[in-house]
Amino acid sequence: MRITRYAAALAAAGVVLAGCSSEAGDQAEDAAGNTVDVQEDVEFEAGTTMAELAEAGTITVGTKFDQPGFGLVGPDGEPEGFDVEMAKIVAAELGIAPEDIEWVETVSANREPFLQNGQVDMVVATYTINDARKEIIDFAGPYYEAGQDIMVAAGNPLGVTGPESFPDIRTCSVNGSTPAQYVQTNYPDAQLTLFGEYSQCAEALRNGQVDAVTTDNVILTGLVAQSDGDFELVGNAFTEEPYGIGIPKGDDEFRAFINDTLEEAYESGTWADAWDATAGAITDTEAPEPPAVDRY
Amino acid sequence: MTERPAGEPLVRLSGVNKWFGELHVLQDIDLTIDRGEVVVVIGPSGSGKSTLCRTINRLESIENGEITIDGQRLPEEGKELARLRADVGMVFQSFNLFAHKTVLENVTLGPIKVRKQSKADAEKRARELLDRVGVGHQADKVPAQLSGGQQQRVAIARALAMDPKVMLFDEPTSALDPEMINEVLDVMTSLARDGMTMIVVTHEMGFARRAANRVVFMDGGRIVESATPEEFFTNPTSDRAKDFLSKILNH
Amino acid sequence: MGVVVENLDLFWSGFLRTLLMSVAAGVIALLLGTVLAGFRVSPVPPLRALGTGYVNVVRNTPLTAVFVLVVFGLPQVDLTFQNYVLAAIVALSVYTSAFVCEVVRSGINSVAAGQAEAARALGLTFRQSLGTVVLPQAFRTVVPPLGNVWIALVKNTSIAGGGFAVADIAFYGPSIIRDNPGSALWVFAGVAFFYMVITVPSAIAISRIERRTAIVR
Repeated sequence: MRITRYAAALAAAGVVLAGCSSEAGDQAEDAAGNTVDVQEDVEFEAGTTMAELAEAGTITVGTKFDQPGFGLVGPDGEPEGFDVEMAKIVAAELGIAPEDIEWVETVSANREPFLQNGQVDMVVATYTINDARKEIIDFAGPYYEAGQDIMVAAGNPLGVTGPESFPDIRTCSVNGSTPAQYVQTNYPDAQLTLFGEYSQCAEALRNGQVDAVTTDNVILTGLVAQSDGDFELVGNAFTEEPYGIGIPKGDDEFRAFINDTLEEAYESGTWADAWDATAGAITDTEAPEPPAVDRY
Repeated sequence: MTERPAGEPLVRLSGVNKWFGELHVLQDIDLTIDRGEVVVVIGPSGSGKSTLCRTINRLESIENGEITIDGQRLPEEGKELARLRADVGMVFQSFNLFAHKTVLENVTLGPIKVRKQSKADAEKRARELLDRVGVGHQADKVPAQLSGGQQQRVAIARALAMDPKVMLFDEPTSALDPEMINEVLDVMTSLARDGMTMIVVTHEMGFARRAANRVVFMDGGRIVESATPEEFFTNPTSDRAKDFLSKILNH
Repeated sequence: MGVVVENLDLFWSGFLRTLLMSVAAGVIALLLGTVLAGFRVSPVPPLRALGTGYVNVVRNTPLTAVFVLVVFGLPQVDLTFQNYVLAAIVALSVYTSAFVCEVVRSGINSVAAGQAEAARALGLTFRQSLGTVVLPQAFRTVVPPLGNVWIALVKNTSIAGGGFAVADIAFYGPSIIRDNPGSALWVFAGVAFFYMVITVPSAIAISRIERRTAIVR
């Protein structure tokens, strides 16, 4: 734990130095657009996670590096997206500037171990809140409500209407994902092809190897936007996927703090600004109504 | 195979030249070997005698000139060349017996794979040949279990099994311990007496005197002299041959 | 550990698919790689160029890229594998054969030149001398490195399950972890165990074969 912190601080210092010397870095930050107001004089009760983080002046955040609109690392090496902005908002409330955040790539399989081992302080990574996960970690939020939808070839040649079409079409999703589980559980007869990445599902759809791709609508919207008009969304979300911020189990003070921070961001418009600068810009959609945080 | 006119030499090299990079190892070689003739090629090391021997079955390619065997020009590659090589037996300095096969299999491999003989026929003939060279009782051993002299005699049997028109010997005794040289030379001498056409690259002057019809002396990639053993050993004409012989015979 | 036991049926069916891919791709790669090695030492220049070109391109391409080309590239020239196990076997065979080729070629080069010369002097064609004299001796010296290629192949099959729609050992890991949050370490331990069920006995068998085929020179 101590060593991880120490390494994180060193790495964060490296990021600061790189930021000072690199103009490209500065421009990238401007491009992200959403400058959060970093709190100057923060004070927390001694012994809390907030006090520790504020004292350290750095926070380690797990996010996806390959999710357009939510967490995507560009050529400059810095992640961008709605999840990333959420993390920056929380960090700012702790008095930690965006450049002092240590980003760690998390994929679906390692989010819980990273939190349990203290390798990250929190995970903001299109992380659906569910009861099984709540048994070993805790969630702040939700800060966004996605829903599972279906993407098909432009013109919807097979007339896919919603999940009821699954038994009749060849569907693609990502191995081990929650949307795949939904199809397997509710439509055991579905012909499901499971690749490692959604971009591969898109390729398979383009080649006619599958008829449809299913996952959270925000991810599909990003793929449609990149498809040059080859794909379209069926637009009939059939699940609720509340995205939460994962933190270690039992840290109720930290969870309450993040929930407070999210609610403030809803109020102040910072949340909507974050949407417009990231996922909203890619999908060309207005910021939705923010979901109510769940203080369980 | 049609009969050649009686006067046609069995092996003919005309105007043969070969280079190893810058090194001109064979220079304008003209040589004919008649049926039944035993030609011993001698010369200092680096004179090109081994290379000459190896060009005759095209283990070495030549840059220009022509080599014919029994009137047939040596093909460049492929099946034609393989067919011609089958008629030219070769015995190497380092024996080159197939290490993973028994003595018997070494001798039967060519007849079965190339001559398409039945296994039984090939084995019967192989045992005869192994008896003839005096290693019949070693037939089921692998080469590594035999002495050098025994291995070389197996190699001779392996070449004979193909019923070659001509046999090439590339320094067949140079890798042998002294006490084994004679057992190999004896086999070669008896082959020569039986009328086999032979081209022998060797340092064994005794064998040359005893068995050769003709001695060819090479130096610096050229044939310097070609004479009967009697003439060559008693009255060499070139200075280089005299020099070479004086060094050898002083030993 | 409980999570592995509870999902033993999944692991087992994945194990069988991994074994199928490994054996099929192993056999094809051994044959194709040996032919390619023959090309690389062939007296015919175009065959040599073909062998060398194949090895240089394939060996220097990441396996994932080979998978992408087979699974998503071939359909663009109207060659679609609807069976992804088959696609995986193709990708793995193509990839592994380049390594087999180099191992066999090094084995061929380790056989004394005189062996091939003696074979050719007997009138054996290039193919006959390769097949009856050189390769049988080459294979004995290449048993250990070929064993390494085999073990690498077994583990490389996990690319198929990890990302290319084949339900092998690696495939079930993510969904078991999804359904049992916090079980990641045990699940990966289970995955590793099932690969070792193939690789450890292989390693033992390889060293046995190595001892048995050693030849006296």
